[in-house]
Amino acid sequence: MWETLAQAVINGLLIGGIYALVSIGVTLIFGVVKIVNFAQGEFVMIGMYISFFLATQFGIDPLVSLVVSMPVLFLAGVLIQHFLIRRVLGPNDMPQIFLTFALSLLLLNLSLMLFSANYRTVHTFYSDEAWHIGGLYIPVAKLIAFAVAMALSGLLWVFLHTTDLGRAMRAASQNRDVAMLMGINPNRVFAVAFGTALALAGAAGSLLMPFYSAYPFVGQVFVLMAFVAVVMGTLGNVMGALVASLMMGIAESLGIQFVGADSGLIVVFGLLLLTLAFRPSGLGARRGR
Amino acid sequence: MTRDRKPPAINNAVPTQASRTKLNRRKFLAKTGGVLAAGAFGAVPLRGWAADPINIGALYPTTGSMAQIGTGCVAAAKLAVDMVNEAGGIKSLGSAKLNLIVSDVQSDTTVTRTETDRLISGNKLSAIHGCYASALTLIASEVCERAHVPIITGSSSDQLNKGRSYTFTPFARASQFAKAQLQMAKLVSDQAKVAVIFENTAFGTSTSNGLKELAPGEGVEIVMFEPYSAGFTDASPLINKVKASGANTLFSLSYLNDLILIVRTVKQVGLDIAINGGSGGFVMPDFYKNVGKAAEGLQGVAHWNHDVNEDAQKVNAEFKKRTGEFAFEYAGGLVAQTFMLADALERAASADPKKVREALSTLDVSSGYAAMAPGGKVKFGPDGKNVYGRPVGVQWQNADLASIFPKEDARAPLMKT
Repeated sequence: MWETLAQAVINGLLIGGIYALVSIGVTLIFGVVKIVNFAQGEFVMIGMYISFFLATQFGIDPLVSLVVSMPVLFLAGVLIQHFLIRRVLGPNDMPQIFLTFALSLLLLNLSLMLFSANYRTVHTFYSDEAWHIGGLYIPVAKLIAFAVAMALSGLLWVFLHTTDLGRAMRAASQNRDVAMLMGINPNRVFAVAFGTALALAGAAGSLLMPFYSAYPFVGQVFVLMAFVAVVMGTLGNVMGALVASLMMGIAESLGIQFVGADSGLIVVFGLLLLTLAFRPSGLGARRGR
Repeated sequence: MTRDRKPPAINNAVPTQASRTKLNRRKFLAKTGGVLAAGAFGAVPLRGWAADPINIGALYPTTGSMAQIGTGCVAAAKLAVDMVNEAGGIKSLGSAKLNLIVSDVQSDTTVTRTETDRLISGNKLSAIHGCYASALTLIASEVCERAHVPIITGSSSDQLNKGRSYTFTPFARASQFAKAQLQMAKLVSDQAKVAVIFENTAFGTSTSNGLKELAPGEGVEIVMFEPYSAGFTDASPLINKVKASGANTLFSLSYLNDLILIVRTVKQVGLDIAINGGSGGFVMPDFYKNVGKAAEGLQGVAHWNHDVNEDAQKVNAEFKKRTGEFAFEYAGGLVAQTFMLADALERAASADPKKVREALSTLDVSSGYAAMAPGGKVKFGPDGKNVYGRPVGVQWQNADLASIFPKEDARAPLMKT
C-alpha cells in the first residue's frame, strides 16, 4: 500500500515540475504586465516543435536544444510584447483578452497547417529508461525534466530577488503605478517579463519532448493545469504557482490512483474549490490581506 | 488514367446554382473528356474507338485530421487501378480501363455527404469505394444507397450491414475484432487475466463493453476494467493500477498519443505484460515510427495484413516502392476491393451501377488479388458481409507487422516478450 502511495506521489511530483514551468510563466505575465496570456500553452507547443525539428534534422538532444528554444521564445516574447501587447494595455481588459486568445487560435491553426495533426515523438537513449529503487521506479527523462524545471525556477527566483531588473519586475508586480513613479521603465520591464515567461514555456516544451508527443493541441493539455495552479497559488505569485503546480500534479496522480482513472481532474478541481473556499486569494497570499 | 477532382467552391454555397452548373458541367465533361481521352490514347480522332473508361469513385479524407491515412488510401487506390489496367482492363467491355475519380471528404461528416452527392451526380460512376473511417463511410453509404451506386469498403462498423443493399464489406466486422482480441489473450497464458483500459468516449466505452460481454464465453477473466480521460499528461498512475491488478494481458482502447504514453510507461515500470493495442492507428507504420523498439512484441488485430499470401506480398512490395511504407491494412484491403469490383464488372459486362451491384452480390472468389484476405475467400451474404471474413491477429516483429493468429493465418510464431 505505501509503495503504491509513494509511487503515486513520485509520479505526481515529476509531472508537477512541468506544470510549474508553464504556470510560473502565466503568473509572471499576470503579475507584471497584468494580462492573462491564453496563448501560453501554444508557446509550450512551439518549444516542443523546435526541439523536435532540431532532434530530427540535426540530431540534437531535446535537452540540449533548450539553449535554442529558450532564447528564441524569449525574443518572440519581447517582440510580441513590443508590437502587440503594448498597444492594448489600458483600462479596458477586453482587447487584451481577445488579443492573447486570438494569438492562441492563430498559433494553433498555423501549426495544424504547417505540421499537420500528427503526433511527433523523439527517441533518446534515456526516453524509456527508469531507475528502480526497491519496488519504486523513477523514469529518467521525467526526473531530468523535473530537475531542470526546479533549477530554472530557482534561477528565476534569484534573478527576481538579486538583480535590479528583477527587483524592478517585482516592484511593478506589486504596484505598477508607484513603480513607474520611482523611475522604472515599464516597457522594458514588461518586455523582459513577457520574454522570460515565454522562455520558460519553451523550456517546458524542450523538457517534455523526450517523453511526450508534440502535436498542435498539446499546449491545451498543460495550460489548463497551469491556470488552476496560478489561481490556487495566488495570481502573480511565482513561489505560489510553483508550490501549487507540484500539489496539482500530486493531486491528479493520487486521484487517478485511488479514485478512478478518469477522475484525476475531479480531484484537482475539488482541491481548487476547497482552497478558494478557505483562502479566497490563494495559497500564496499574505495573511491579513 | 487517374484524375483528381477539385470542384469549384461556389457549388457549396448556392444550391440552386449548383444544380444548374452540374448540368452544364456534365455536357462540358462529355465534350472535353472526349478530347482529353483522344489525346491520351494517341490522338485517335473518334470516341468509341477505344472502349469508354469505367469510372470508379474514391472517397477519402486527404485533408484534415485523417489526411495522412487518407493519402495512403489514395496511393493504394491508384496502385490497384494501374494493376487492373496493366492486366488488360475489363475484357468483357472491350478491355475498358478503370478511371479513378478521387474526392476529398476532408475528415468531416458534413463534407462527406456533399462530396458523395457531388461525386455521384457529377460523374457516371460504376461503383465507389471509401472512406476509411466508419463514421464517414456510414454517411457515404447512405447517399450511395439512395443513388443506387454500389459502395465497397474496408470500414469495420457493424452498422454498415444494417438496412443497406448497395454496401459491401469484404473484411472482418468490429464485433469479430473483439472476439479475436480475447482469443489472442489465451495465446499468452492459459489463464488469461485481462486488464481493459479505455478512454471515456463513445469509441472507448462501446468497444470495451463489447469485450466485457464476450469475455466469459471465451474463457477470459477481466481483472480490471477502467475508463480514463483521453489526453492525459502522464500514464504512470494508470499503469500503477494495472500492475496492482495482476493482469497478464493489457487491452488498451486508446488513440495514438495515449497509447504511445501507455506503452512507454509499461516499459519504464518494467511490467511483464502482453499488450494488445487493437486496430486502427495501432497497425499503421506510423505507430512503430513513434514508439520505436518499445513496440516490438505488441499485438493487435487487423482486417488485412501484407503477409497473408503471395499476392499480398507482391502488392506490398509495389506499395513500398511507391510510398516508402509497407501496405497497411486499409491500403492492401483496398487493392483487393478494386479487384473485386473488376471481377464484378467483368461478369456484369456493363458499367451500369445497378448491374455492377448485382454482380457484386453474386461474387465468389477464392484466388487472385480479389481473394487476398484473411480466410482467402470472398462471398457476400444478403447483408453485404463477406461470409468468410475474419480478422487476423498481428504482432510487431522487427519493425514489421507479422500475422500470428489464428493458426490458419499465422505466418510467424508468437514472439514472447
